[in-house]
Amino acid sequence: MKETQAYIERIKRVNRGHQRLELAVDQSLSAMLAGQAMLVRRIDKDYDAEQWDPYLRELWFPVEIQARNIVIVERPARAQFLPGQLLSIIGPVGRPFRFRHNLRNILLIAYHTTPAALLLMLPPLLAKQVGITLVLMGSARRYETGHLSEEVEVIQADDNLTWPDMVMTLGWADQVFVVVGQGDELGYCRDIMRLMRERHADIPTNYAFAVMQRELPCGVGACHACALNLRGALKLPCVDGSAVDLTNLRLN
Amino acid sequence: MAIEIARPGKTSLIVSTPVMPAAGTVGFGDRYRSLIDIDKLGAIVTNPATIEPWSPAAGARIVSLDAGVLIHTGLPNPGLAKVISQNRRTWAGLPIPVVLHLVGTSLDQMKRAVEMIDDVDEIAAVELGLRDDIHEADAVELVAEAARMEKPLLARLPFYEAYHLAWPIAEAGADALVLTAAPRGTARDRHTGRLVSGRVYGPLIKPMTLRLVGKLRRQLPADLPIIASGGIHSPQDARDYIEAGAIAVQVDAATWAQPKMLERIARDLGGWIATRQRDALPDEWNPDMSHTEAIQRRAAQAGSRRESN
Repeated sequence: MKETQAYIERIKRVNRGHQRLELAVDQSLSAMLAGQAMLVRRIDKDYDAEQWDPYLRELWFPVEIQARNIVIVERPARAQFLPGQLLSIIGPVGRPFRFRHNLRNILLIAYHTTPAALLLMLPPLLAKQVGITLVLMGSARRYETGHLSEEVEVIQADDNLTWPDMVMTLGWADQVFVVVGQGDELGYCRDIMRLMRERHADIPTNYAFAVMQRELPCGVGACHACALNLRGALKLPCVDGSAVDLTNLRLN
Repeated sequence: MAIEIARPGKTSLIVSTPVMPAAGTVGFGDRYRSLIDIDKLGAIVTNPATIEPWSPAAGARIVSLDAGVLIHTGLPNPGLAKVISQNRRTWAGLPIPVVLHLVGTSLDQMKRAVEMIDDVDEIAAVELGLRDDIHEADAVELVAEAARMEKPLLARLPFYEAYHLAWPIAEAGADALVLTAAPRGTARDRHTGRLVSGRVYGPLIKPMTLRLVGKLRRQLPADLPIIASGGIHSPQDARDYIEAGAIAVQVDAATWAQPKMLERIARDLGGWIATRQRDALPDEWNPDMSHTEAIQRRAAQAGSRRESN
C-alpha cells in the first residue's frame, strides 16, 4: 500500500456509456490482481486537491493491466477527464479474488452496477480456458458489452432477475462472483442469495462471493466506516475485500 | 522542540510537534504507517474505544456531501480490554505518544476504564469523548472520574454543546480541551433515498470551530490548553487555529482525502512555531519551499535592507 502519483495517458470511448482511461502508474500498481482496487483523487502539480468535490477518493477497479506500468480503468462517459491529468492514487486496496484450483466454469453477475470490478479476471481466466458467463441484472442491463471478448457469454436477466437456463447456469458454475451497486448492497446480496437458494439447495462456502464497491474513506482499515458484520467477525472490505463470502455475510 | 499540551500537574503530555490525527481517523495503531511518516506527528489519537464491544452501524453510513462527507460508523471496536491487548505491542513500537480515545458512556463503565488504563504504560494520555446529547452534570461526573487517572486527560467536547460545557469540564479536572468533535448532521443518501445521521466532515467546519476556539480561548483560564479540531485541510488552516489560541491541532478527514497533508501540516506547523519563537523568517520552514528559494529570498531581503540604508 503506497500513495503514488499517476497521470492519464490516453482516453478511449468503449461504448455509449463508458470510457477507458489509460493511466501511467507507479510500478507497484502494475502488479495488482483481480479484486484489488485503487483510491483515486485528482490533484494539481503541487499535490493540492483540485477540488473538494468529490470529497472522498473514488474507488477505481482496473479492467486491464498492460506492460510499461499502464493500468486501464473504466469510468462513466459523462465524467470529464483530460490526457495529462495528474492523479494521486492509494493502492492496491484490498485482497485479490481467490479462485478454486480446479476452476472450469465461472459465473459473474453484475447487479445494479457495471461489471468493471470483475473485468480484470477475464484475460487470465480465458487464457486458462475457463468458461465465463456474465449475467447483467437490474440497471446493469444498460451496460453495453460489445468491447468484451467474444469468448465471454453475456446474458441479460429479465425484470424478475431470472434468465433462460438459469438452473443450468448456476449448477454449472464452480464459483460465482456478484458485484453489487452502491446503496442497498446488503439488500442486493439478499436478492442474489434468495435466487441461488431457490435453485441450488446447498450453497457451500468459498463458492459465491459478493464484490463490494463501498465508498472507502481511508482504504487502509483505519476509519472502520466500511465495516461489515460477518458471522463471528467484523470485516473491513478495504483490507479484507473487495470480495466477501456470501454465506458469511449477515444479511438482516 | 517540546510542547506541553496538557495542563501541568500530573504526568504531562509533551509532543515535539503540535499536530496529531483526530480520533477515528487513523485506526488504533499504525494503519497509516505506509502512507505517512508518523515520526513527523506529535502524537497518535486512537479510534474510539468503549468498555464493551460495539458493532458497526447498520444501513448506509457514508453520504457524500458537496465538499464534505457525512459518516456514521457506530464506533465499531472490540471493547477496551481487547483494544489494549491487541494494540499494546504496536503502541510500544511507535516513536510518538499514544492518546487513547475513550467514549464516555456511564459512570460505572468509566470507573472500570480508569482501572484498566492506568497501568498501561504504552498509553500516554486519554482523550475522553463526550456524547453529543450529554447533560452537564453527567459530563462533569464522567470527567471527574476520568481525572482520577495518573495520565493526562483531554476532554473532547461535542460541537453544539462546547461553549456551554467548556467551563464545567475544565473545573472538573480536564487537563486540556479538544474543540471539538465533528458536528452531527443529517443528509439524504442518494443511493437509497434514506436520511442518514452522522458526523459531518469537510473544510466548511473550520470557520465555525475557529470562531469557537477564539471565543473560548479568551474566556477560559490561560493555563488550560486548547487543542483545536475541525475542518483542517491545509497548513494555513492549522496556523489559523494556533493564532486563535490553540496549543495544538487535530486533523480529521483531510487525512483520508490527502494522507500526506497530515504530515505536511505537521512539518509546517512544527517549523512555524519554532521559527516564530526564534524570530526567524516565518516562511523559511515551509516544507514546500526549496533550499535555493530560501537562499534567494534571504539575498533579496538583504538587498532591500542595503537599499533602504
